[in-house]
This record gives sequence, structure tokens and C-alpha cells, in this order.
Amino acid sequence: MSKKDVQENDNTTIQQEMTQLSEMIAWFQSDDFSLEAAVDTYKKAEALAGKIEKDLSELKNEITVIKQRFDA
Amino acid sequence: MENIQLSVSDFVALVNQSLEYAYPVVTVVGEVAEFKVSQGKWVSFKLKDAGAVVNCFMSVYQLRIPLEDGMKVMVQANPRLNPKGYFNLNIRVVKPVGEGSIKKGFELLKEKLEKEGLFAPERKRLLPRTPAHIGVITSTESAAYADFCTILNQRWGGLKVTVAHTQVQGDPAADQMIRAINYMNELEDLPEVLVIIRGGGAAEDLMAFNDELLARAVAASRIPTLVGVGHEIDHTLADMVADVRAATPTDAAKIVVPDKQEMIRDVRQRVVHLGATMMQRVDEAVARNREALRHAYRSIEHELERTTSQLGALKLAIEQVNPAAVLRQGYAILRGKTEVGERIQIETSTKYIEAEITSAKDKGAA
Repeated sequence: MSKKDVQENDNTTIQQEMTQLSEMIAWFQSDDFSLEAAVDTYKKAEALAGKIEKDLSELKNEITVIKQRFDA
Repeated sequence: MENIQLSVSDFVALVNQSLEYAYPVVTVVGEVAEFKVSQGKWVSFKLKDAGAVVNCFMSVYQLRIPLEDGMKVMVQANPRLNPKGYFNLNIRVVKPVGEGSIKKGFELLKEKLEKEGLFAPERKRLLPRTPAHIGVITSTESAAYADFCTILNQRWGGLKVTVAHTQVQGDPAADQMIRAINYMNELEDLPEVLVIIRGGGAAEDLMAFNDELLARAVAASRIPTLVGVGHEIDHTLADMVADVRAATPTDAAKIVVPDKQEMIRDVRQRVVHLGATMMQRVDEAVARNREALRHAYRSIEHELERTTSQLGALKLAIEQVNPAAVLRQGYAILRGKTEVGERIQIETSTKYIEAEITSAKDKGAA
């Protein structure tokens, strides 16, 4: 796992964050939905979406050309 | 040398020594004739042109592309006089030359690999949607590599990219790429996708990607493979055996990672949609609560009506046994001893009357 593929504040990858966001969205459609938790979950989803957007915009690729030669 | 007597064996050895010194390797172009494989191990054919013929010999393992009589080929070989007196070219490399022969060699190998099922759709593996680590095999000096990196960096971030620099055309290219494939497959931190790319070129420039051993190495890779060679119209055996074919190196970059701008738009859209979903769920909950309240109100109303009705009936029953009501019907209440000479009190609905009994008879006696 590339160091730059993880967030600065935790160990979550963008892919995991996308999964978390999908789970939150699914919760709104599920039988577990409750009015009491809805606003809180929505705020969390909104914040997570913002974080994904920020991470996607800022993360750089780490390209390494290996020194190994393959000519013999 | 005229006065030196040599044995035949010495003579053959001397000729070979001279050939090795003067012509260690020769490159000869000619047409294949009398091609045959013996015992599944040895390949022999004649190389000819309009004026001459030479015998060629090689092991089957050195044959990287199928040959057929009539194909024009270029061989790199060591000229040798064998102990039986035949002059041979011991082939090191053979490859078809000219568009027709290249195409023929390609078609023969394609048919062979197809029969083995190497192009079968069921062999194809899916590539991960958002890989964290990819391996790339290419010439890092090529424009194709630069284009690939540009598109990759535009589309996605946070990737670990391990690049193996190899030749992508010329005689050593296929072997170098095979070694690089093996290297990538042995890495402890295994890439999730192996991308092999090369820019466009003439058919002869792309020949390395039609090498049998390279095609087999791509097919055998335990890392899923994505091969993007040449232009959209170019098809090579390496991309046919790959899990996914990209039309160009740029296309390979587009396939291997999603577009972050597209994903950002998707994430934004999902949040907007989530807001609408939440409002819908709130509206549904409010509607459910209203219905529950309406139902409760109806139940209370019904219960109230029932109780009111019961109360009316009870009131009526009580009214019927009320002494005042009986008096209003004309009856009276008599208080005191009912003996002659006794005084009694009579209560009617409107009066209290004092009276003296002057006569009293039993009803039975009367």
C-alpha cells in the first residue's frame, strides 16, 4: 500500500472511504433508518464526501523506475 | 598449408575454427523450404534464393514463431561444417521479414495459441477498479510511457507505480519483457495489475509482441494483465492473451484507473441525492406519525362514544328506580305503624301529610 494512498489523519484508503459512503447511503434506504440518527448520519456522509474530494484532488502518484536491468 | 597433411576431422575442425574467426555470426535472408521438426526437438529447413541453397538447423525451443515453407525469413546463425561434411547454418534467431511472412507467422502462431485456449474469454480476469499498486513494463524513453504517465496522473492519485524499463522492439525486446514479467510476479509487494505498453510503429517494430514465449508469459502471469500496444488497429498476440486489451497506451491509462474528476462529480451527486433521500424518509416518517395520530384519535373517539352510550343506559336504569320518580307517577310513601289509632306520615311527590289510622284490615281478610 502506497503511503500516499492513505489519509493523513487515519489509515483509511479512498476505496475504503467510498465503501463507507456507500454504506451510509444504503442506511438511508434500509429498515435501520431512524429519524433520530438521520441528521447526524447525513452530516457524517457530507463530511466524508468532502474528505474524499479533497484526498482525490491532493494525492499524487509515486512512480518508481526499478534499477533492475532485464537485458540478460 | 599445401604441404601439411590433415586428417578429415582436423580439416573439419580447422574450417570451423576459421569460420568462427572470420564469420562468428552471419545474418542471411532467404525463403524457407523443406521445413521439418524431428523428434519434437530439432528443426531443420533449407534457406534458399534464386541462385543458392543452404541447410539450417536449430532446436525447437529457439523457434519463437512458427515457420512454413515459402516464408521469407532473416536468420542470425553460426556457419558450421558438420562432421558428416554438410555445411549448416546453426540458427540463433529466426524471424519473418516482409509483410506477407510476418502476417503468415502471426496467423500460424495465433491459430496454435487459440487451439490451446489462450484467448478464451473464460480465462480473462477482471482488473481491480481502483488499484493501489500497478506494475508497468515499457521503454521509459518512449513517448508512449510519457503519455501513459500524463494520463495516469491526470486521472488518479495515491498510486504506487513500479516501472520496469525494457526494450520494446528489436531482438532482445521479447526476452527482456519476459524477464520483467517474471520479476514483477515475484515481487513481495505484488502489483495488482501489470500494464505492458508500447507506442505505434510498423509491423516489424511490433513483432516482439507476437513472440510465442512472450505471449505465454503474459498468459501465465499471476498478476492480471493489461496490454496496450500500438494504435487502435494493431492487434498483437500479447494483447490477445492479456486479461484486458487497451487500444493504445493512453487507453491503458484510462482503463487501469478511474477518473478522479468523474468520481468527485459522482460523490457530489450522491450527497445531493442523499439529501433528497433523507427528506423523503423524513416525509414518510411524518406521514406515518400523522396516520398513527389519526388512528389514535379515531380510537379515542370511538371509545368515548361507547362509554357515553353506556352511561346513558345506566342513567336511565338509575332513574327508573329513583323514589322521586316513583312518587311523580302518583305513588306515595307511608311511614309509621299501620295500626288503628296510630299516626302515620304520607309522602307524595309534592306533600308530606300527617294522618291517623281509623281502620286497618289485612288484604287477605278483606
